[in-house]
Parts: sequence; structure tokens; C-alpha cells
Amino acid sequence: MAAAQPYRGYDENPCRPRHFKPPPCAPVIPEGPARKAIDACRTRLLFTSILFACVFAVVALRVVEIVLLENGTAQSHMPRFRIAAPPAPARADIVDRNGRLLATTLDSPSLYANPKQILDPAEATRKLVSAFPTMKSLEVYAKLTSGKSFVYLKRHLTPREQYEVNQLGIPGLQFQHEERRVYPDGTLTAHVVGYTGIDNAGFAGIERGLDKALKNRREPLQLSLDLRIQYILREELQRVIDDFTGKAAAGLIMDVNTGEVLSMVSLPDFDPNHPGAVDPDHPDISIADRMFNRDTLGVYELGSIFKIFTVAMALDTGTSTLTSTYDASHDIHIGRFTIGDYHGKHRVLNVPEILMYSSNIGAAKMAMAAGGQRQREFLARLGLLSAPKIEVSEAAAPHFPAKWREVNVMTIAFGHGVSVTPLSFASAAAALVNGGVLRQATLLKLPPGDVPQGQQVISPKTSEQMRKLMRLVVERGTGTMAAAPGYVVGGKTGTAEKLSGRHYAEKKLLSSFVGIFPINDPKYLVLTVVDEPHPNKQSHGYATAGWTVAPATSRIIQRMAPLLGVQPVDEALPEIQRALMVESLQGKRLEAY
Amino acid sequence: MIRLGTLFWLVLVSATGFAMFGVKYQVQALEDELARTNRAAASEEHELRVLEAEWAYLTRPETLEAMNRRFLSLGPIATKQLHITATDIPLRPPPAPTALPVGPPAVVASAEPAPAGSAAASAPEGVPISQPAPPETAAEPPATQSALRAMPALLEKPPAAQLAKTVPVKAVAKPGAPRRAKSLDDLIAQIMTSR
Repeated sequence: MAAAQPYRGYDENPCRPRHFKPPPCAPVIPEGPARKAIDACRTRLLFTSILFACVFAVVALRVVEIVLLENGTAQSHMPRFRIAAPPAPARADIVDRNGRLLATTLDSPSLYANPKQILDPAEATRKLVSAFPTMKSLEVYAKLTSGKSFVYLKRHLTPREQYEVNQLGIPGLQFQHEERRVYPDGTLTAHVVGYTGIDNAGFAGIERGLDKALKNRREPLQLSLDLRIQYILREELQRVIDDFTGKAAAGLIMDVNTGEVLSMVSLPDFDPNHPGAVDPDHPDISIADRMFNRDTLGVYELGSIFKIFTVAMALDTGTSTLTSTYDASHDIHIGRFTIGDYHGKHRVLNVPEILMYSSNIGAAKMAMAAGGQRQREFLARLGLLSAPKIEVSEAAAPHFPAKWREVNVMTIAFGHGVSVTPLSFASAAAALVNGGVLRQATLLKLPPGDVPQGQQVISPKTSEQMRKLMRLVVERGTGTMAAAPGYVVGGKTGTAEKLSGRHYAEKKLLSSFVGIFPINDPKYLVLTVVDEPHPNKQSHGYATAGWTVAPATSRIIQRMAPLLGVQPVDEALPEIQRALMVESLQGKRLEAY
Repeated sequence: MIRLGTLFWLVLVSATGFAMFGVKYQVQALEDELARTNRAAASEEHELRVLEAEWAYLTRPETLEAMNRRFLSLGPIATKQLHITATDIPLRPPPAPTALPVGPPAVVASAEPAPAGSAAASAPEGVPISQPAPPETAAEPPATQSALRAMPALLEKPPAAQLAKTVPVKAVAKPGAPRRAKSLDDLIAQIMTSR
């Protein structure tokens, strides 16, 4: 055995203690092929370890580089440490032009129950009904014993209600995270902002018209509306309705130079927070009637305020000049119609007087002189023969005769026969006074100084003449009660008889007034329409525009102008008088005609 | 005997291990804190939204009008209140160092530094300013000092200086401004005539 083992190692000393082991030492490597193999192994090991060392060195260097050398750029290597952005509301807020909140989305959890987990349905029902008096105990009990695993008990709880439910401590009741649209101003902006359904889908107004945009954006949507002006307009319109027992009213305030709508009111209105609820003060007014936006969805034969278009058309196409005269001494009989004057002068009138005294006969004759073709083209150019384009989803197409006969030409000249929305009218009227540029009305705020591209519809000269004529109406014509000292108001009254059945009813009126101020440098347009006003004592038996909406316009302008920074001027100043002087009347008294 | 090198590596490995776990727990703690903070921020955000909605609700024009009627009874601005703009009001004239300012400019000079001047400007039209208002008679150090500094000549004259000590503002106002504005209209009229 000893001969078979050439190397004995620690067994050499036979006297060693039994536990003694000599210290390890490198094995003696024999010469020959074994030695070669071991050398090769060592070389491989060396290579491998150098390779590993290199890789580790690279890793170490990279760590040093990231942490120490690349100042701050290490941040990009830690994406999951970023601060989470605040959760976006499911729907963007809506604010007015001053950033005032008009619509917002708030968390409002819904209460649901898992009836399988409810231990004592009778007790739970008793507690729930005591917390929510509006709940019916039979209904709740039926739900809780239905055996389903999910029943809604109440949608959209307020934070207080949620707290109360938690206080009840009923097992099996749970909250579902939901969001709800809240309109802090309630009825004030109801028709413009609109409202949403229970699942926050837009059902009316901007909410519906810009539903997609509201769903996809984070930052609030800014409207052109000014809440203060909106309040003034609504209050004054409500006053007109109350004073003259009117049925409804619509009002619109527009920046004539940009087309921004500062205020849009339609009465009666509704509360977008509870769109289906009946108004306790007026339970007789139907919900559909209150939701109806009279500014964009209602089409009306606006009556005499349409005469500004007749005059503008005649002046712009050159078929009349300011000195043209028309005989308004006799009524016009055409077919079954008789066209007469309300403020009849029974004499020959010139163009400024036709507008001042609102002569139907004069306007009809002016339109006849221009011809139906021109009239139709002109109205189409002003956008009065097509539906208005606006951000709210409600926009009604106008009504006008398919065949433009002679009688139509005459009646349309004084605003009967073509029904348009107040919004279309306001856009077109703004174009008449702002230098002749028609701009699309918008409910979205434009960046300051941004004037949208418009379309030149009448010449600047005609526009200037229109401003002068409209000033004349307020200064000495039918609209004297719309005057607001210092703000140089110009405008036109319109009292239309409403069509009932196939005839015009004399007692059912639609009184309207379009006012523009300051007319020497137009900034804002105020359009007010009141449906079926009735005369009262103060108005001496009149329910015409001059007595109903014209004074309201005066009050609106006097209240809104300081808020919008319109500086009042002395109307007697010679430069203003000169700017508004009607050349054809220069040096002559009007009554001298 | 364990070799030094082995010991070194052993210590290094365990140190690294401990350090790594330390960092890991630290990171976890930080992550928890971050999540907590994010949750808190989200709930604050939500509360903010509620408060904003509440603020909008409480400052509805109709509420403000009702409160105005109860507490302030302010009316809409009348056109005649707007005939004068800020640019129409003249700037304070430069102080005359040698002589006592006599004549109309002194009206402006004396009316402006006194607190009553600003009170008069902000008071609603038609409300008379109580003749010598309490803050005027009570010696107001800063206003008085500036008024006196503006008019060193006043200090040189013994009787005037004496007056200034007892009733300072009145003394300043007396020689230059014989008439005190009774109302805002009055004040504006004075300013207009002084131009």
C-alpha cells in the first residue's frame, strides 16, 4: 500500500497525535501532463476573474459617475420616485372671464349596500330612514332584503351625509367613489353653462357643446361671460318681466369688436344643480320652457329693430341716400295685409326719420326700391338666413319664406316674415356699427388684444352712417328712454305683434331693444327682448319697446359701464356732436320736413 | 489563522450588506412617506376644490347684494361720480423750501398728507367729512413730521411753531387752506380750481 502512494503527506510522522493535522500547503504538483492541465486551468481562472473585475469596475465607475459626477441627472434614473401629479378631475372646471368659478366637479360618493352582508335589515332600515328623511322605509327594506349583492341606496351624498352614514355604523353599507358637477351660481348662468346628467355627461349648453373638450382637459375652460354683467342683465330683465307681467325675456350683451358674448340671459331659467326640479315660486312654468334658451334656440320675428338692416342695405347698395324721401302718408294695402305706422306721421319722411319714428310704410318702400333680391342677399351676408354658430349645442335655424314675394319684401323690411335668434341678430347688428365687419359670436374668452378675422359685410362709411342714425333714434326718436347720460347710447326699438295662428295678434307683443354704447366708438351691444309685456300704470298704457326694454337698457348700461371701464363723456361736447351729426339734417330742424 | 485578506473581504461584504439593507429600508420609508404625502396632497386638493366651490357659492352676486343692503348700502356708481379720472388729479407740488406755501397749491399739500385727505377721497359722495376729525386733532407723529419737514419755514417762526406743537395739523392747514373741503364734491372743486 505504501508503495502505491508516492506521497504520504501528514502521515509521515507515525508519532503524531491523533487530532494533529499539519497546516495546509500547496500541493506538490507533479511534473508532466497533470501539471500542464492545472496550468491551463489557472490561466482560464485568471482570465475569468479579470473579466469579472473589469465588469465590476465598470459598474462601480458608472455608479460613481451617476451619483457624484452627473449633477442631478441621476434623477432621470429614478422614474418611480417622481411626485405624483394631483388627480385630475374627471371634467374640467368652467370659469368666467375673470376666473370666477361657474362649474366644478366635486367628489360625491354614492351609498350602496350589499344585502347579503346586512345582518339586520329592519334595524338598518330604521337607522337609514332616520338619517335620510326623504327615503321611504318600505323601499329601503325591500332593497335590503332583495338578496342581491349590490343595490344603490342613494346617489351623490354630501360630505355631511357621508359622515352621518359612517356614524350609523351599519355593516354592509359601502360608498362608491363618484363625482358630481356643481354649479355655485345656480340659475344665473344656467342656459350658457348648461348642465350634466348623473354620470357627468353634458346635457345642455357649453357642457354639451364642448363635452369632449371638457372631458379631456385639466385646466379650467374660460368663458367670455362676465358674471357681474350677467347678474345685472338678469336682474334688469326680471324686473321688466315683473313690472310688465311679461311671459319671458331674453338678453344678450356682446363686445361689438370681437364678438365675445359677455352675458346671455334667458328667462324663465332653471337651476342646473337640480335640472328637473319644479320651481316652487312658479310651479306653473314647465321644465321644458325653463330650459329653453331663448337667445340661441328661440327664433322670433323681432319687428322694427330689423329696420336697421333695411336702412343699412339701402344705404350700402346705394338705392337710398340719407336724403332720400318716401311718402308715408298712406297705408299700403297688399293682398290681405295692410301696412300702417304705429307712430304715424302721415307725411313724406326721409331716411333718418323712417328709422327715428320707426315707420313701417317708409321701411317697406325703401326695401321695395332696393328689391327682394338685394334684400335676401344682404340678410344672407349678415348671417341672418342660417343657424348661428356658437359653442352651446342649442342653435336654431331661422325661418324665412322660401319664395321671396313682394309682400315678403315689405314685411321683412320691418321685421315680420323672418324669424331669427337674438344671437344672430346681435352678431349682425354688431357688424353694422363696428365698421362693417361680421364676426362670429363666441362664448369663449379671447386672449387680450386678439381680434378674430371677420368678414366685411358693409362699407365703413355705411357703418358710420348707421351709428349716426341709431344715435338719432335714442336722441330724438322712439328710443329716448334708453338714453344713459354720458355713455352716448344709440339703438333701435322694436315692437312686434306676435303671430297667433294665421293672424298677428295686436295684444300679444314682443318688445325688443338693441342698444350700442358709446355709439361714437362702439364697444358693447345690449339686446333685450321681452315676450308679451302688458302695459302698467307707469308706462301710460304702453307695452312697446320704448316703454319696457328701452328704460331697462338704460339701467343696464349705467350699471355695467363702470364695471367695464367705459369712461363717461359729456355728450354735449362739440367733437361728439360733430361726430354724430347727420349730414342730411344739418342746419334743418327735423320737424321742418 | 485566518488570513488578513479574507477578514478584509468578509468585513467589506458584511458592511456592504448592512449598508445595502439600510439603504433599502430607508428608501422604503421614503417611498411610504412619498405615498402618504401624495395622498395628503390629493385630499388637500380635493378640499381646495370644495372650498373654492363654497367660496363661489358664498360670493354669488345675489348674496353680496343682500349683504351690501344689510351692512353697507352702497349703490351703483353714478355717472357724475366718474367725470374725474385719476389723471385729472394733480400730483403733489414739489415742496417750497424757502417760503411758506401760500395760495391754492397748499390746499393740495395740506389735504393730502393728512389721513383725512384719503378718507375724504374714499368716502361716498355727499357724506360730509366731520370738521376736525379725531385722527387730525390727535397728534399723529409721522404725518406731522413729514408735514413739518416739508415746510421748514414754519419751524423758524416762533408763533407758528408753537401752534404746531399744540394743534399741529390745524396749524399747518391754517395759513394755506382757509377753507376745508366739506364733501368730496367740494374737495374736487377745490382741486379743480387750483389747477
